[in-house]
Amino acid sequence: MKYSHSLFYLLLLLISFVPGYSTAGNKCKKSFEVVILHTNDMHAKIDNMGKLAWLADSIRQQHPHVFLLSAGDNFTGNPIVDMYPEKGYPMIDLMNRVGFNLSAMGNHEFDLGQDMLNKRRNEANFPFICANIDVSKSKLKKPSPYFLLKVEKCKIPVLGLIQVSENGLPDSHPSRLSGLSFIQPDVKTADYIKLKEKYGMLIALTHMGVEGDVPLAGKFPQIDLIVGGHSHTVMTKPLMENGVMIVQTGSQLKSVGKTTLQITNGRITDRKYELISLAAVTRSKPEIQEIIDHYNDNEEMNKVIARAETALNNQEELGCMMTDAITRQFGLDFAFQNSGGIRIPNLPKGDILYKDIFRLDPFGNQVVTYNMTLAEIKSLILNAYNRNKEPDLMASGLKYTAVVDGNGLCTDVEMRDLSGNPLDPSKKYKVGMNSYIGATYTFDHADPGTTNFDTTAQTLINFLNEVKSVNYEGTSRIDIRRK
Amino acid sequence: MRIFINEKEIVLFRGATLKEAILTYSKVSYKKTESGYLGIYDRFGFLTEPDGPVYEGQHFFLKVIPRQSG
Repeated sequence: MKYSHSLFYLLLLLISFVPGYSTAGNKCKKSFEVVILHTNDMHAKIDNMGKLAWLADSIRQQHPHVFLLSAGDNFTGNPIVDMYPEKGYPMIDLMNRVGFNLSAMGNHEFDLGQDMLNKRRNEANFPFICANIDVSKSKLKKPSPYFLLKVEKCKIPVLGLIQVSENGLPDSHPSRLSGLSFIQPDVKTADYIKLKEKYGMLIALTHMGVEGDVPLAGKFPQIDLIVGGHSHTVMTKPLMENGVMIVQTGSQLKSVGKTTLQITNGRITDRKYELISLAAVTRSKPEIQEIIDHYNDNEEMNKVIARAETALNNQEELGCMMTDAITRQFGLDFAFQNSGGIRIPNLPKGDILYKDIFRLDPFGNQVVTYNMTLAEIKSLILNAYNRNKEPDLMASGLKYTAVVDGNGLCTDVEMRDLSGNPLDPSKKYKVGMNSYIGATYTFDHADPGTTNFDTTAQTLINFLNEVKSVNYEGTSRIDIRRK
Repeated sequence: MRIFINEKEIVLFRGATLKEAILTYSKVSYKKTESGYLGIYDRFGFLTEPDGPVYEGQHFFLKVIPRQSG
């Protein structure tokens, strides 16, 4: 009797070490299909939520086991959501109503700030997962590293992973990541690959971009499916790497992925993927559409941020305000704004509303900062002038005179500080500008530049929220001297 | 940060988006991506939305988006 017991335990021990053997698979005997509906990088674009709800409901009527997943970056990109008093709430409200089951943590989730992100996560009817984050020295509530999708006695583990850049952080303003540390995704995946052994299946819900997902798949063929995000890749067919299926749906909730998993005896035995364009979905769930319309008709956009003591009468006065926002908010010496990026001719005296800022600066450009010499700054102003033979760059922190020849070309630029003092040619100055200038203007700069992922519009809103009133009447920082 | 558009090296600020990379490469090409004539494809051949991030050493290709017939 004793001998037979020992044999039994020995067999049990041996079985538990057979690679890929699933103890859960024993309980998970049935053959069935699971439909994973997924999207990624919605970036607060709520307009297609009604279509998504209708589509998800239709699929739920056809399939008993449907899960709706987001691969992160639910927030940032729509002022209706970003400027809501409870920042980001409309997105969580709609995701709850549509029936999301799970979200990865994307880098833009942190844009809310840690306190606000905790609030949004508390309100969510679904968890946010992330395995490669350490919150122990931060205010952030610890996310679960993984989540189990349950179908009767079967459990499918889904592991959450976020991208980590060269600086050891995800792409978000470092101030919002205070106290957080991040571990390389492959290191944490190695820790959790045991989930495959335990449950016989493994899905990764990642926010790492396809360039992060491919090496992950190369290293861990145990993963059955990577539902990815971050790179905004529109996958009309899956990418197969080392036997791992990688899928991603683009961005802004234009499309939804439908990945159907055939599960047989606790293992994924077949995987099918299709990309469904929401433009092709003609119906929208009425009760969700009503909520979307309510949010889009948001009174918040009519709220007052600050007061213009006098009218801002022209591009230069508007540009001075926009650039002053950049120098003040980022602690820079100078900032520049191109005239083409100032989209309204003036702002009347009186209240400045949120919606005025998005009319003034609708492009979603980021603030880029450079360390520049005076000679480099001169090359920027000069080349900008010569694009159209007229002053183009509005400035903060300095006044400049464009010296123009008989052909209307700027041949020299003289710069002084706002008190009229000369600037130091041996010094490197901290200079800010919008990313359109950084990307398209020709100028000398040894420093390639850096963005902290704040938009110029958000920077201006933050500035106006702080100063509460502005007066730019007659402000001029540009002069022209013709030779 | 250096990336490659149609094998041409582009020098960009850190944190740039694909839109900014294409603007640096060619404003005319960017307008063609906006109109839907050109698509931005990654090294795996997948269309990529211009609001996505770019990183050091990545390669993208501008190609005419095939029209659906019928």
